[in-house]
Amino acid sequence: MEFAQQLLNGISLGAIYALIALGYTMVYGVLRFINFAHSDVFMLGAYAGLTLAPRFGGDTFAGGLAVLVGAMAVTATLGVIIEKVAYRPLRGRSTLTVLITAIGVSLLIQNVAQNSKLGFGPNPKAFPAVFPQKTFTWEVVPATTNLVAKTPGTEPTAQITPAKTLSVNTNQVAVLFVSLALLASLHWIVNHTKIGTAMRAVSFNATAAALVGINNDRVISFTFALGSALAGAGGILYAMNYPTIDPLMGTLPGLKAFVAAVLGGIGNLPGAALGGLLIGLMETFVKGSRWSTYSDAIAFAILILILLFRPAGLLGKLRVEKV
Amino acid sequence: MLEVSQLTVNYGAITALHDVSLRVDKGEIVTLIGGNGAGKTTTLRAISGMVKPKAGEIRYEGRAITGLPAHKLVGMGLAHSPEGRMVFANLTVRENLQMGAYLQRDQAVIAREEEFVFTMFPRLKEREAQLAGTLSGGEQQMLAIGRALMSQPRCLLLDEPSLGIAPLLVKLIFEKIVELNRVRGLTILLVEQNANLALEISHRGYVLETGRIILADQAATLRADPKVREAYLGG
Repeated sequence: MEFAQQLLNGISLGAIYALIALGYTMVYGVLRFINFAHSDVFMLGAYAGLTLAPRFGGDTFAGGLAVLVGAMAVTATLGVIIEKVAYRPLRGRSTLTVLITAIGVSLLIQNVAQNSKLGFGPNPKAFPAVFPQKTFTWEVVPATTNLVAKTPGTEPTAQITPAKTLSVNTNQVAVLFVSLALLASLHWIVNHTKIGTAMRAVSFNATAAALVGINNDRVISFTFALGSALAGAGGILYAMNYPTIDPLMGTLPGLKAFVAAVLGGIGNLPGAALGGLLIGLMETFVKGSRWSTYSDAIAFAILILILLFRPAGLLGKLRVEKV
Repeated sequence: MLEVSQLTVNYGAITALHDVSLRVDKGEIVTLIGGNGAGKTTTLRAISGMVKPKAGEIRYEGRAITGLPAHKLVGMGLAHSPEGRMVFANLTVRENLQMGAYLQRDQAVIAREEEFVFTMFPRLKEREAQLAGTLSGGEQQMLAIGRALMSQPRCLLLDEPSLGIAPLLVKLIFEKIVELNRVRGLTILLVEQNANLALEISHRGYVLETGRIILADQAATLRADPKVREAYLGG
């Protein structure tokens, strides 16, 4: 039962990593750089949830969804603004310039968020309920009591074997369903809408995309909106399973999601989803083992191993063009 | 229809085009010939807004389009089928064509244009659902032309349609280019390594050498010119 429990936990954590990893990979797809500020958009999503949840959430499932959608709208807007202000003026510059700018944006957001006057202050804050919560516990193997007499003639003593249980919190189910729904919607947008096809076109060849009349800047804005909305949703879902949130909460999940994106093959959307799930499962299982203190180290060891042996990632391909 | 006057383009310290002036009239096929690095592709790139000219003016249908971004020109009826084809290898043939009609909102028009392209290149119809990256070079060239046609251009800039393609397909593609010009009245500015073939189907031609236009004449006259014959037509 231990295994089933860990599997469930791992999948929900992995789904959250997948949501964040998709943002990294989509932005990489159209602009070829790693948006390090993405993890802070994730954090801002959690704070947007903190603000919206007491007003709408907590009581009904619909209210919870309203919080989620509201926070996604907030982070989508922030993502578009970040791109416009920080990255667009650098269009055509070297990737390194944009990459360093992204680190700068990330530090700026973190510092403003930590400031008590401008932001939320440095102290952790309790995260309110977003969805109505309930925990279901199943006794898979019921508890048993055996009467055992140690030596013949003495009074038998009761020996109790505890029940084996599987407990599922509705929050976990919500995390799972919401992330799967978001992943499915993203898949649909990217593969079956005009703007999604344009995203793939820009990502393959921005010049050719401009030559058919695609305004690259508009597609890039849309990509940031989409990626940031997913990160915002990820922030709320992540915070739901932890008691508190703070301005630096994005760093570690952000880095792990980045590892997930590289593991799946940077720029590859199904790869990012798969990478997220794998990293989430791996982390949960390692945490449940006696090597639990190494769980973060293992995530980054994976990054090093991929870069050494399979730089294109699990699903990524090194591109070969026909001439 | 298209007028380029005194165009100068620099790539860093290198002058790629120097004082280039040319003109394409409505209904014409005009070809640019010249050796490697003469500036043929750069001329097309400057017209379609892929590179910013340092000096000079480009007018299309009477309007100055110098320095306009590439994506705006498509909407004005000026399409560019670029060097190296640049089809979206990760998209299907059909999606490539639909991207060609990106600015068109009327689904009926898109369907009609798609039908037109499929009639012109039935091979594309057979490969409709295939990823463009899996097509042969010739098929990719058909797709690149088809994609450019999807925006219903009045003028088409066509760069090296014969590059790296089997001779049989080159013949087919050139027949279609002529057909587009004669039947649809499409104005074409053609850049082509194969100068013989290009002059054969063109009305007029310009000869570029190291970024300057050194000759401009009727295609037939250029084909008869001994200097042109020696330098570009293989004697």
